Amino acid sequence: MLWLWVLLGALALLVALAAVGYNRLVRLRNEADTGWANIDVQLQRRTDLIPNLVEAVRGYAAHERAVFEEVTKARAALQQASTPGAAGDANDVLTAALSRLFAVAEAYPDLKASENFLRLQEDLTDTEDKIGAARRYYNSTVMHFNTAIQSIPWVLVAKPLGFRAKEFFSAAGDTSVPQVSLAPSS
Amino acid sequence: MTLQQQIRRNRLRSSIVVGGFVLLLLVLAGLVGLVFDVSLGVVALVVALVYAVFGILRSRSMISGITHAQPLGDAELRPLRRLVENVSIGAGLPVTPELRVVDDDAPNAFAVGIRPASSYVGVTTGLLRTMPKRELEAVIAHEVAHIRNRDTYLMTMATVFAGVIALVADIGFRTLAYGGRGRRAGAIGVVLALVGFVLAPYAALLLRLSLSRRRELLADSGAAEILSDPEAMAMALRRLELDTTTVRYTSTSTAHLWVESPTDRIGSDRGGVLEFTSWFNTHPPTRTRIAALEEAGGFRLPERLAPEPPFAIELGLA
Repeated sequence: MLWLWVLLGALALLVALAAVGYNRLVRLRNEADTGWANIDVQLQRRTDLIPNLVEAVRGYAAHERAVFEEVTKARAALQQASTPGAAGDANDVLTAALSRLFAVAEAYPDLKASENFLRLQEDLTDTEDKIGAARRYYNSTVMHFNTAIQSIPWVLVAKPLGFRAKEFFSAAGDTSVPQVSLAPSS
Repeated sequence: MTLQQQIRRNRLRSSIVVGGFVLLLLVLAGLVGLVFDVSLGVVALVVALVYAVFGILRSRSMISGITHAQPLGDAELRPLRRLVENVSIGAGLPVTPELRVVDDDAPNAFAVGIRPASSYVGVTTGLLRTMPKRELEAVIAHEVAHIRNRDTYLMTMATVFAGVIALVADIGFRTLAYGGRGRRAGAIGVVLALVGFVLAPYAALLLRLSLSRRRELLADSGAAEILSDPEAMAMALRRLELDTTTVRYTSTSTAHLWVESPTDRIGSDRGGVLEFTSWFNTHPPTRTRIAALEEAGGFRLPERLAPEPPFAIELGLA
């Protein structure tokens, strides 16, 4: 009779542990989803700013058609990107296209001095900073989630339960690695 | 340990602290009831709890009053506000805390609030005039880490309850020592109550201060994590350490709020020499904090920092 109780007790403990662990996975996944939503908001803000910027530059440099087209195409690609990895790549392409647009703008002193252009430029820089900040948070939540579902015992059951490893959102010029100076101070 | 786990652990710790303070209050009320009257004990307890609730609700504006922190208009200091926004996003806060400025030459910063939504970060104009952008960001990240970890909530609770306990114990002690009317208990009860009334405020104070010091180290590492840049936090601390101005509008009741101890400049660096003095400090020695960051980030900070243009220039304040 005793062994039955021991068995039941062990079973109850196992169920309790499984529930706690499962809840933890759900929570980590939700945190990563929230982190992704934060990036998405900033990416959206960035794509919203671009038509205005293109219009502002077009007013002064209408013949630079190739650059406008490149920016517009990159913007569309970012809007269509569905996974974090693809969005990261599309975002990099857009950054490169925008830097060419700003290089073009350099040649037009009137444009550079216009208040509208300056504000747009400032807003874009700010959005890029915010994407960077949101990326740091998102990537850390993804790391915790992926570590959790790739460790024993969850690695055995994560797939059937619907937990898939998440993609990192990485960008070129990633500055999230601390810059450590090894040079002796002079 | 993930950020969210840290927050949950802190919330649990907050409830333990609040529970501990309530227990301490109950003991005090029990002593009052023992030596005077049971009904007086109940009155003391009720008054203390009402006072505590009032203190917690009013803490936001009270601290604003003590520190002279001014809210900003919509268009003021936009670059600084953007810095706070970016740091909050990096910390994963659901909302950006409000920003307030204290007109004071001493470089320092603090954070206040029960919930992230109602929190604000205060920075002194001296901080803006001292810190380059990278280090200013680290100081703000330290304050945002306090908000994210719910340290501000925990410390508000601890401060208010420590105040209430000091008040009740003080009144009890004075009544017993000088009044002496309506005494019911024997000599042992009176001695017990006297000892209790004398010791309770110190117990509350030590509890409050030990919490504060541990929070500071956690917030330092939190700031390093938010920015992925432990060196910036260490450099900011070194720059604060080299500065010797003290904050004008402060009192010991708000000392634990600031990024660096606003009062005792010399005392805060003495931790290793006389262990006991560091028990009564709100902040761990700056050197200990820098050393912890150096270990986490794997770098060595030079003794002297190169002078860099402060962020105030970009803000048009200098």
